[in-house]
Amino acid sequence: MTEFVVFESVSKVYGSGDKSFQAVENADFSARKGQFLSLLGPSGCGKSTLLMMMAGLEPITRGRIMLSGDEVRKPRRDTGIVFQDPTLLPWKTVIENILFPIEIFGLNKADYVQRAEDLVALVGLAGFAHKKPHELSGGMRQRVAICRALIHDPDTLLMDEPFSALDAITRDEMNQLLSDLLERYEKNVMFVTHSIREAVFLSDRVLVMGCRPSKIVLDLPIDFPRPRPKDLEDSPAFIGACRVLRKSIEMAHAQP
Amino acid sequence: MSANLKTTNSSALGDVITPRLSGPLKGSAIWLPLSVALGFLLLWEVGVRVASVPEVILPRPSRVLWLIGDKSQILFTHMIPTTLEAAGGFLIASVLGIALAIWLSYSRLAHQALYPNLVLFQLIPKIALAPLFIMWIGIGSESRLAFSVFISIFPIVIATLAGFANTDPNIVKLCRSLAATEWQIFRTVRFPSALPYIFSGMKIGMTLAIIGVIIGEFITSQRGLGYLIIFATSRADTMVAMAAITVLCLAGLFLYGLVALAEMLSNRKYGVPRG
Repeated sequence: MTEFVVFESVSKVYGSGDKSFQAVENADFSARKGQFLSLLGPSGCGKSTLLMMMAGLEPITRGRIMLSGDEVRKPRRDTGIVFQDPTLLPWKTVIENILFPIEIFGLNKADYVQRAEDLVALVGLAGFAHKKPHELSGGMRQRVAICRALIHDPDTLLMDEPFSALDAITRDEMNQLLSDLLERYEKNVMFVTHSIREAVFLSDRVLVMGCRPSKIVLDLPIDFPRPRPKDLEDSPAFIGACRVLRKSIEMAHAQP
Repeated sequence: MSANLKTTNSSALGDVITPRLSGPLKGSAIWLPLSVALGFLLLWEVGVRVASVPEVILPRPSRVLWLIGDKSQILFTHMIPTTLEAAGGFLIASVLGIALAIWLSYSRLAHQALYPNLVLFQLIPKIALAPLFIMWIGIGSESRLAFSVFISIFPIVIATLAGFANTDPNIVKLCRSLAATEWQIFRTVRFPSALPYIFSGMKIGMTLAIIGVIIGEFITSQRGLGYLIIFATSRADTMVAMAAITVLCLAGLFLYGLVALAEMLSNRKYGVPRG
């Protein structure tokens, strides 16, 4: 198996008749195993819908999505998900929140405590394992959410604008952190964002989604070597890739 | 500045219904209300003496206190059934109320059919129905228990429903992405996050449960503090009536305190600190 995900003419329509609304039109692409794939576009263009269909949280109207060779019909354990909101349980500590999927899966939590502690240390929260979410900053909470998505060692990580609620400086930190984390844990990633720089810095490939119709208008490979240093963003090649993406988004919007 | 804004924004409805008595109280927060209460009693004591108000109209607090000591045996005998019935009514109302709220929050049909009626029932003066309960169930403690459940269940159901409705939808979405069962979502997310609401409903329910029992005892009973109050006032024995009322207040505070204590323990585990 060389492809982690295959979209076969996937469409999503909300409602029916005159009130129907096409959120995703004919998404048709596939991605190699181990790729970091970004879905870029302005808000309200069906990016999140596409991701939620991949997570099995939204029914697919037409077509099908194959994940690691199996058709997606419902949520599954070989994916981990990070939302825009950290969605931590406020009464649980950092470690307990990270172990929450293990609790839901009915697995023995004791077997995963060591892994949870390793993850906590890796994202720089070593002293905070027994703190509760209200004692953490927004960036720290989102780090906990990332650890939680990785605790059961899923093959695929689905991320829905995970850093868009953070300030610009924290966001840059988080991009670096995620990039480093993925050097260590190799995952297939589907990353939804509306930040062009973020998409270029993190991805192996960026898909640009246009609005009305919500179609993929550009498929741009990004092949800067990894690990990627922070100052990559100053290189002409990086700026060039950003320009190509911005033009493509502007074009998609200019269409009537 | 920003701290001020935060306090204004976070004054939730729950705090308006049930003022926060828990938490660290210090300095003026304790002695100021306490000295106002003591000052009021002192004014009463002195006022009655100076104006020589007859004891049958308004006995002095010190005399009522003395009588409580003198007749403690009798007062205690009447306090027991009232307290037990109120506690029993409250417990039944809590279990039934929470169960009803769970049913209504999981069945759309039941919610549509029953919720507006519950709200409407909440608004009517339910005390007027007390004599009917005596007629239907009889003069035993069963009818007082039933009436007590009847008037205390509504705030518990409504508050619990509000708590379930307040569950963070994003956390529910996270649970669904983990293929959690409805029971798992209820047990790990919905119920714990509804607990503060449930307790504020139960605190109101507790005070209503006592009122329910007292009303029942007023109407027909051979024992209980409600009976003692009616019996004493019918013989113009104001001192005994006031002693009974004082003991009733103490019993009520004790029961309320138990619920507040349970709330404190629950908050220690599931509470979400502000900010």
